[in-house]
Amino acid sequence: MTRAPMSRLQPALAAVLVLTIAVFPLDHPTQYWLSVFVTAMILLLLNISWNFILGVAGVWNFGQLAIYGLGGYGAGLLMLHSPLPPWLAVLGGALGGAVISVLIAVPTLRLYGIYTSLLTFAFAEVIQYVILNDGTGLTGGSAGFPTAPGLFSALSPDAAMNAYYWTILVVVVLAMAAVAAITRSRLGMALRAVRDAPAYAAARGVSPLRLRMVAFAISGFLAGLAGALYLSFNQSISPSAMGLPPMSVDVTMFVIGGLGTMYGPLVGTALVTIVQTALVTHPGVQQTILGVFLLIVVVFVPGGLVGLVARTWRRVAEWADEDDDDEEEAADAAQQEGAEQHVA
Amino acid sequence: MLEVTGLRAGYRDTTVIRDLSLAVTAGEVAVLVGPNGHGKTTLLRAISGLAKPAAGRVLLDGEEVQGWPPERVSLRGLVHVPQGDGLFPEMTVEENLLMGAFPAASWRGRRKELARVYDLFPRVRAMSGQRARTLSGGERRLTALGRALVRPTKIMLIDEPSLGLAPVAIDAVYAAIADLKAAGTTILLVEENFTHVGGIADTVHVLEMGAIVRTGGFEDLSQDESVVETYLGRLT
Amino acid sequence: MSMTDVVGILVTTITLGSIYGLVAIGMTLIYGTLRILDMSQGSMVMAGSFIAWGVMAVAGWNPVIAILLAFAGTFVLGTLTQLVSVQPLLSRRNVVDFEMITFITTFAVALVFTNVALQVFGPYQKNVTPVISGGINIYNGVNLSYQALTMALVSVALMVGLGVFLARTRWGMAIRAVAQDLDAARLMGIPIGKLYPLTMGLASALAGIGGVFLGGLYFASPQAGDLPLLEALIVVIFGGLGSLPGTIYAAYAIGLIQGTAEIFVGTTWSLPILYGVILIVLIARPHGLLGKPAEARL
Repeated sequence: MTRAPMSRLQPALAAVLVLTIAVFPLDHPTQYWLSVFVTAMILLLLNISWNFILGVAGVWNFGQLAIYGLGGYGAGLLMLHSPLPPWLAVLGGALGGAVISVLIAVPTLRLYGIYTSLLTFAFAEVIQYVILNDGTGLTGGSAGFPTAPGLFSALSPDAAMNAYYWTILVVVVLAMAAVAAITRSRLGMALRAVRDAPAYAAARGVSPLRLRMVAFAISGFLAGLAGALYLSFNQSISPSAMGLPPMSVDVTMFVIGGLGTMYGPLVGTALVTIVQTALVTHPGVQQTILGVFLLIVVVFVPGGLVGLVARTWRRVAEWADEDDDDEEEAADAAQQEGAEQHVA
Repeated sequence: MLEVTGLRAGYRDTTVIRDLSLAVTAGEVAVLVGPNGHGKTTLLRAISGLAKPAAGRVLLDGEEVQGWPPERVSLRGLVHVPQGDGLFPEMTVEENLLMGAFPAASWRGRRKELARVYDLFPRVRAMSGQRARTLSGGERRLTALGRALVRPTKIMLIDEPSLGLAPVAIDAVYAAIADLKAAGTTILLVEENFTHVGGIADTVHVLEMGAIVRTGGFEDLSQDESVVETYLGRLT
Repeated sequence: MSMTDVVGILVTTITLGSIYGLVAIGMTLIYGTLRILDMSQGSMVMAGSFIAWGVMAVAGWNPVIAILLAFAGTFVLGTLTQLVSVQPLLSRRNVVDFEMITFITTFAVALVFTNVALQVFGPYQKNVTPVISGGINIYNGVNLSYQALTMALVSVALMVGLGVFLARTRWGMAIRAVAQDLDAARLMGIPIGKLYPLTMGLASALAGIGGVFLGGLYFASPQAGDLPLLEALIVVIFGGLGSLPGTIYAAYAIGLIQGTAEIFVGTTWSLPILYGVILIVLIARPHGLLGKPAEARL
């Protein structure tokens, strides 16, 4: 039947993918390539968090980068100025992200979607502005954060790189699994109900207030974690990680992949990273191409690339199963469409 | 003047009108009655272009206009006065009337047309400086009717002009419509029940479940017990 | 607080308020008719600055030509932006989250503009000749440059002009009609396929003129659109998205707040304080000072 192969295939494909990525370092690739992968994975984590709040929960949060940045700065400050071990500092950054995220959630509760976007966007800009102009030396201002030890300062550079690689891989896989599980759970269903049909959800007694806080907390935690990992890996962070250019890149990543879908961030991050790496010598062209690409995808391919693949797959499967009962197939297809569009 | 054949239209996943056919001759006042939700407003919207029909044809004066955007259809002389009158709330009555004359050809002669409508409806002239949102229901309907006349009209679609109005206002509105009829305007009028249309209806169509189930003169249909009971209750 | 401070605040209010007003009314105009948030408005300011630089500093022509060319150029850019990033989505406006999608598409356009500018002009700032140079010392060391004064006057003139356009002309009234009731407007024969690009072109042109003056006050650079965009967003949040009068009040109110903050805490903290004030206002009045997005009041 049409449904069974798809859902049997998914976990299998995922496992293969993870294994492939996991064994990559054993091939002794250059530091450059490993670094590209690690950076991509950190961004993937950020994008997963952003996709969750924007796509699944449907909240117009355009300030996620500020949480990311603050998670990084928070972790850095903990590493430098507190007795906590680096692991706990990273966790601290993540928790800080969650807290700040929830604090932002409060004023947005009463606002229309579009006002929330303005507010969160402005928030991100203001945070970046404040850090840029920070003369106290606490955050390092525009020069960037002073060097922080990171997670694996005890190891040799090569070993540390591998350690970061595998640690972050595990974190990303866990995060994806967690977000997928949450989305399929009652919480996830409630979030999607509030996103798609707020009046109906309210009539059913679903409380948007609590839900939104939870969504912000989860996505804030993951974004803060990504920022903390960024800081650890690069042993520093600067306001340029939070401005409009990286925001454009990130938004492009998960929108191209498919807003609200499970694999959207993965596909998008991978694709954009490939484009960026290929054009690394021409940053301006790179950004322009990404912008154009984003425009084309959003306008012409609703549901992003994941949506496109899902529709194509379904058509192929239907064609292959042409002998089967038509009605049953249509029901499966409809269910699949629901699953592909909203599962994350 | 207006010919609808085999129309199918609806919203997203629901088909509201299925295989509807209807004809209105020039100079006629045709009234469409039927229960709410069965497709009366959808039909008017499909004709004027606000909704795109899934199948079927709409011929306006012999020209196929189905699927056209409303801007284009209105330029062919079709005026749709929507449910709830569709006035621009923050504009004055006069500004609303002027918008009725938007098409380039009409715009040039707008002052003249405005004067003509004011002569037809003196009450509207009295309100000309008031913001539309401050008017009463009856005044708004009159203004909407006036606005429909500011440019050359081949056919007028009017959706439930009596909706939400007090009886006195309803009388005024229907008196205005009677004036329009006397002037020879072709009208397709929608009402939920047809108590008020006796004086002006030439033909009555009954729309149920998305299709026309009865057509006849007002006299015939008001004798028909099944129709009367559904739409008028027991006549005493 | 001395008289010097008061005069200083007044000058800042007028200067900043006029800048904010010019960029923000375009945004409100677009939101009122298309119900979208146009993130490319900042790019239009940037484009205006570059046009001014090209016309005055490079070609050496006079400022009036710069203003006219900036108006025309950004009008065209705005129209193109609408046709590329908004128009194709209109047919799906009820199916997708239209406002969010157009936020992203106009944002993508802004991204492309910034990077094209980066490629063409390079990353360094260009000095733009002011429209009028010099200034006067109006009170005890408070300097008011002629550029700022002219800009304020031009802004006010443009706002008044826009008001007249909307109130009395055929297309201006049509724009208001579309903002108030789209379906009814279409039934009047108003062609939205032409009106939407026109509106966005007009709004962009206003921002472009702002860019001519801003370039002279500061400089032209590819990133120079970022701050005006942010400021415009803050103004429209504050004043209410659908309301033109609200936007104008908000622009000057924010100029006032920022001017006052600058005197007391210095330039660095004025932006965060501004943000804080807005946050508080929004909590008290979720629709901003005068705005109700559902009922646009252009």
